[in-house]
Amino acid sequence: MEACETEEIIYIDECMKLALEQANLALNNLEVPVGCVIIEDEKVIAAGRNRTNETRNATRHAEMEAIDILLEQWQRNGLSKADIAKRFSKCTLYVTCEPCIMCAAALSILGIKEVYYGCANDKFGGCGSILALHTSESGGSTRDEVSQGRGFKCTGGIMAPEAISLFRSFYEQGNPNAPKPHRPLAPSI
Amino acid sequence: MPSTDRNIDKEEYWKIIHIPDKAPIPPHLQPTVNAYATVINPKHANTLIRRLNKIFPLEDLRHVKRICKKCVEGNVQLLVILCLASDGSDQSENIPSEMVELIKSYQLSTFITKVSKYAATSKEEWEEQCKLWPTSYHPPTYNIDGITGFSEENSQSVCEFMKLAIDLAKSVDGQIVNAAVIVNPASNQVVARSCDQVFSQNNPSRNSAGEGYLEPCKLTSSSISNGLQTYTNSSSNSSFNEQKRTYGGVSCLHPWQWAEQQSQASCFRHPFHHAAMVAIENSAARDRYLFPASEHIVDKCWQAEVMDSPSTVSPSKKQKTETKVEDSGIQNSEHNACGSMPVRPYLCTGYDIYLVWEPCIMCAMALVHQRIKRIFYAFPNHNAGALGSLHRLQGEKSLNHHYAVFRVFLPESILDRDDVVTAVSGSDKNKTHVL
Ligand SMILES: [Zn+2]
Ligand SMILES: [Zn+2]
Repeated sequence: MEACETEEIIYIDECMKLALEQANLALNNLEVPVGCVIIEDEKVIAAGRNRTNETRNATRHAEMEAIDILLEQWQRNGLSKADIAKRFSKCTLYVTCEPCIMCAAALSILGIKEVYYGCANDKFGGCGSILALHTSESGGSTRDEVSQGRGFKCTGGIMAPEAISLFRSFYEQGNPNAPKPHRPLAPSI
Repeated sequence: MPSTDRNIDKEEYWKIIHIPDKAPIPPHLQPTVNAYATVINPKHANTLIRRLNKIFPLEDLRHVKRICKKCVEGNVQLLVILCLASDGSDQSENIPSEMVELIKSYQLSTFITKVSKYAATSKEEWEEQCKLWPTSYHPPTYNIDGITGFSEENSQSVCEFMKLAIDLAKSVDGQIVNAAVIVNPASNQVVARSCDQVFSQNNPSRNSAGEGYLEPCKLTSSSISNGLQTYTNSSSNSSFNEQKRTYGGVSCLHPWQWAEQQSQASCFRHPFHHAAMVAIENSAARDRYLFPASEHIVDKCWQAEVMDSPSTVSPSKKQKTETKVEDSGIQNSEHNACGSMPVRPYLCTGYDIYLVWEPCIMCAMALVHQRIKRIFYAFPNHNAGALGSLHRLQGEKSLNHHYAVFRVFLPESILDRDDVVTAVSGSDKNKTHVL
């Protein structure tokens, strides 16, 4: 049993490392360093990183980027709405920082199965820090609504120091107009 | 009359109400705390107050007046607050020893009084507080326009933009959706607008306004009273809005429904493409287009978007009409003093958004991220609203940005398809282009 658990921890860390690579990629592009991957059946099916500066759209968080990749791909492949919903309900998200209130709400709307995150998000966190949108009671009314808010399983603190140290580098980097650091690019997925 | 309208007087329509950061409490139910008070000899007032403020300052009760006058049978009495009292029954024990001494030396007889725990946030609250014990009242001093009221001119343009949003919400064939209009209030320019696009709507034939940012139009002050008139007529003889409407097409009202809706004539596009989210992307696309940065190659995706949506390049919008702005004082705030080089905005800083329905939590947080300054909505969202209904995001202190939220009171009947309320078409001739 214990061997099994250790194996799982190693697996979770491996997935989070891939998310951290994405966050590093964001850092190299002068973006707030948050990255994520989406896993289905133990396969990485999408990756995303923050692109808020590049797009000038402050909602282009890593989670949104990764989800959009899947939506586009699945729609191109002719998946029906029901198929798409079903696929997302089997997906697990690994993200380096606790999803913000917007992303947590979006993940609930999407009906994702599970989320693992790195460090907590004290300012905007939507999975416990400020609001707890991952618990199913928090969304939707208790009235005769057909569709209630959906919760998802959520575990924080996965490789949090690594996630925080990326934030630290970002803020030490200071002025976003400063010359790009020429550090080696993390391999992307 | 629809049930939701029953409590609203017709006079109230088009009224703009500020939705505060905290859920309002009925004025007479405001929380109170007990305090020891006493009658004092006016001769001792100065020395006593000074000593009291020193040994027992009312730190958390700065709004409470330490001293007050009371008329008892023609005689003026001076009352002072000594210190807080606990709610427990054993009162003699919790008077601080220094206070006990003071009471002894002046031979004061104390009594318990209730004082309001928090500073009043409205005149009504303040009046109620003063019935217990006088407090001071400072009207909110936010620097966001409108919180302390709108000028006639400003409320006119608020109503005009809300009408535009409502027109958009009705512009899609088949059903009512939510709609968003982002406006730069400094120039009264529409920066972006959108409808819900969770499902692609059945070819919006009569409008190309579903998406777009290329068309900042300036609304003239076409008469609001006309709109009001139209509404009044239609509501008085409308009998079909008796039943409660659910507005199944409004994304923010039913965020989780995208996966479940069975008979959807239109095809599914994106579960997050609520009107506000699309409007944010449209404003960002406009920003990228107007202010291309050399460092990033970001315009590709924008171009692709334009190719995909012929609506944004429809002939009506290509026509550039020269506009004479009568009031030269109204200048496009995006242009600097030279008038030639536009100044790039930072996200939606300083912009307003008009939404027909109170946004869901995803949209409300997106608007925090994008730095919207003011949100105006017409109808509350009891299912999933995040600006007072289920959550109150404008009151979340931890967030790094706070917008002010307003509700524009409107009758539900304004959503009736054939109830033409807007006079937007009249402003077409006044369209200006920043391009
Ligand atoms: Zn987020
Ligand atoms: Zn929404």
